[in-house]
Amino acid sequence: MTHIPEVVTEEKMAEAANEAELLKEKANKYFKEKDYENAIKFYSEALELNPSNAIYYSNRSLAYLRTECYGYALADATKALEVDKNYIKGYYRRATSNMALGKFKAALKDYETVVRVRPNDKDAKMKYQECNKIVKQKAFERAIASDETKKSVVDSLDIENMTIEDDYAGPKLEDGKVTVSFMTDMMEWFKEQKKLHRKCAYQILVQVKDVLSKLPSLVEVTLKETDQLTICGDTHGQYYDLLNIFKLNGLPSDANPYLFNGDFVDRGSFSVEVILTLFGFKLLYPDNFHLLRGNHETDNMNQMYGFEGEVKAKYTAQMFQLFSEVFQWLPLAQCINSKVLVMHGGLFSEDGVTLDDIRKIDRNRQPPDSGPMCDLLWSDPQPQNGRSVSKRGVSCQFGPDVTERFLEQNKLDYIIRSHEVKAEGYEVTHSGKCITVFSAPNYCDQMGNKGAYIHLRGSDLKPEFHQFTAVPHPNVKPMAYANTLMQLGMM
Amino acid sequence: MASRQPFTDTDTADEAVRATCDDATVCKRFATSKGYWKDPYIQYFVRSVGERKAPEINRGYYARVQGVNRLLDAFLKKTQCECQIINLGAGLDTTFWRLKDDNLMPRKFFEVDFPTIVARKIHYIKTKPPLSKPIIETHSTDSLLLDAHSLDSDRYCIIGADLRNVPDMEEKLKRFQLNTELPTLVLTECVLVYMTPSQSSGLIRWAAETFHTAMFINYEQVNMYDRFGQVMIENLQRRQCALAGVETCQSLDLQKERFLRSGWENANALDMITVYGVLPQDDVGRIERLEFLDERELLQQLLQHYSISWATKDKLSLGLSQVSF
Repeated sequence: MTHIPEVVTEEKMAEAANEAELLKEKANKYFKEKDYENAIKFYSEALELNPSNAIYYSNRSLAYLRTECYGYALADATKALEVDKNYIKGYYRRATSNMALGKFKAALKDYETVVRVRPNDKDAKMKYQECNKIVKQKAFERAIASDETKKSVVDSLDIENMTIEDDYAGPKLEDGKVTVSFMTDMMEWFKEQKKLHRKCAYQILVQVKDVLSKLPSLVEVTLKETDQLTICGDTHGQYYDLLNIFKLNGLPSDANPYLFNGDFVDRGSFSVEVILTLFGFKLLYPDNFHLLRGNHETDNMNQMYGFEGEVKAKYTAQMFQLFSEVFQWLPLAQCINSKVLVMHGGLFSEDGVTLDDIRKIDRNRQPPDSGPMCDLLWSDPQPQNGRSVSKRGVSCQFGPDVTERFLEQNKLDYIIRSHEVKAEGYEVTHSGKCITVFSAPNYCDQMGNKGAYIHLRGSDLKPEFHQFTAVPHPNVKPMAYANTLMQLGMM
Repeated sequence: MASRQPFTDTDTADEAVRATCDDATVCKRFATSKGYWKDPYIQYFVRSVGERKAPEINRGYYARVQGVNRLLDAFLKKTQCECQIINLGAGLDTTFWRLKDDNLMPRKFFEVDFPTIVARKIHYIKTKPPLSKPIIETHSTDSLLLDAHSLDSDRYCIIGADLRNVPDMEEKLKRFQLNTELPTLVLTECVLVYMTPSQSSGLIRWAAETFHTAMFINYEQVNMYDRFGQVMIENLQRRQCALAGVETCQSLDLQKERFLRSGWENANALDMITVYGVLPQDDVGRIERLEFLDERELLQQLLQHYSISWATKDKLSLGLSQVSF
């Protein structure tokens, strides 16, 4: 390489650059004709001759976008910006790729960058606003849209005037109310894989939103000596296993109270049936049927793991919007007899959080990336003392000493949480101070785990564990995001 | 296996096995569209990206593809490409095209699968220039040898055959210039588990007896005799897909042993958790940031029940036994 005289190198480089330009022109032509495969091919050849050309990367990125290769599109956009961080189109491409990959926050950042760099550019501003609007419309990243108050779907619904067709043979609310016979009929209806009329679904959602919004973020419950509360963990759209829990343990009633500790939806293919059933019982027995929010009662999870897709398939996007609003009002924790604290995830990334702090959490939102609300939905216990970075990439893992300190400070006996699948359906850790209960047996049709629920008696507040195994369910192909080995193992 | 008999139970089982080809292709298509790894050719075998797959599935395929490729590329480098590769049960795999792009082509790349699958693949190759061009370019004459169930060229050959009928498969391979003197890599990905242990050991033994310097890479299930494994077996049975060879998928030791007792000199087997851990971790970090995985346990369970095993014999002393992760 040292022997080549400079002149020749420059000439050769100019030659290569020219040839690359010709290839790019060729690629552009193919692109115009929508022949993206050839466009990509010729952009690639141009890049081989001239690898430091941001435009080639950016153009190829667009071609990849058109062929749905979003990962490649993102990589090329990023490369374009590496070559030239002032190349505006590169930001646009990356933003589009990120949006296609569902990373709306990242996309908005790039649009923000462009607006900052070109404050007088009307087009840039418009694109930023468009992205922002899309983000809000799809309600994927409410955390960013902090200033605008979002209108509730409820305001745009006219449930009164929704008509139920004559040929609908399914259950209806009685005088607009959920009754025992409605619940019995609805559960049977669902079991036969039939759909509840959307009017009834809307009625339930609007009413349960109202009920939940009046609850504090920390619900306090007193069990009398003779009372017994059943606490269930994740159910994840496994409707037939939920029916089995009611069969084994009795239907909910004022005399048979239940607490479901989050993650009612996603992954399992009957999330709609599970959630409408649970919401129905909440309306029927508001003081003796409790629901806490899980990390899967959030937009990000619902988008990825099936619930949003299922609601859109069975009903509409608008109904999913309403579900999203209702989820935001689910309480975050429950304290029983001031001794036992229940939450979906676990304890906190920092010491010193009190029950009062939990009470004060403004929960009507998507959970933030960190902080007590996030921890309540996301953290996990660990066997060793102290705290560690979470394997989940969000929140933390907390040790027995953290649990000990928290319980002492808040004068509690132990915590019950869920959030992690356990082979036996439950697990007792931190010397009995941290209990995990998980109620989705044979999770995702693949884990082969047992499910469990806990009986908590008001007399001694000692947890009594009951295990159960999975029951068969109809061979419904799981929603797009859920997974079963039936569909696809790694064959 | 040309038969005029009516659709029998074995036919149903075979049909179910063939369907797994689509599962794999569709999953790889989705994973590559998300950027887990690059495969510019898979889009020619399945056009649309299709429905979303769960993140643990994408990560699982990533580990499989990266794992197998590392061993495969290492073999090519040890033999300096003076070798053959035979992909048994290849389905719609795109490795040949990747090797051509990476300048790592063996002397000849053979693929064998059920005739109906091979016919499909040949159709795609014929009708998609990005697939046919590399084959035509590397062929010495203007025309390729082509019929309903086989395509032959200088560097690439695909044959329709039943892997359970080894003499027939061998005859077809030899007809298309299989060279038993060349160091040869035999690859089976989720293939052996669908035939009985005696059928698969027949295949493994054939490879050991036919080539004096060779490597066999096998990717498939392992640790199947636990609850998870039972659930998988049941799930597949409901699809009429029998894991006839699940006995040999009992443990890593058994996966190793099946080679050692069939004429291979050295054998190794790792579960995919281990493989995941020894893949280049900066790239693993990159793919873990592509999609959020809500439940790590699912990925771990999945990885624990799949393995890569590889065996070598090395008359030419090329150092094949050193090939590893």
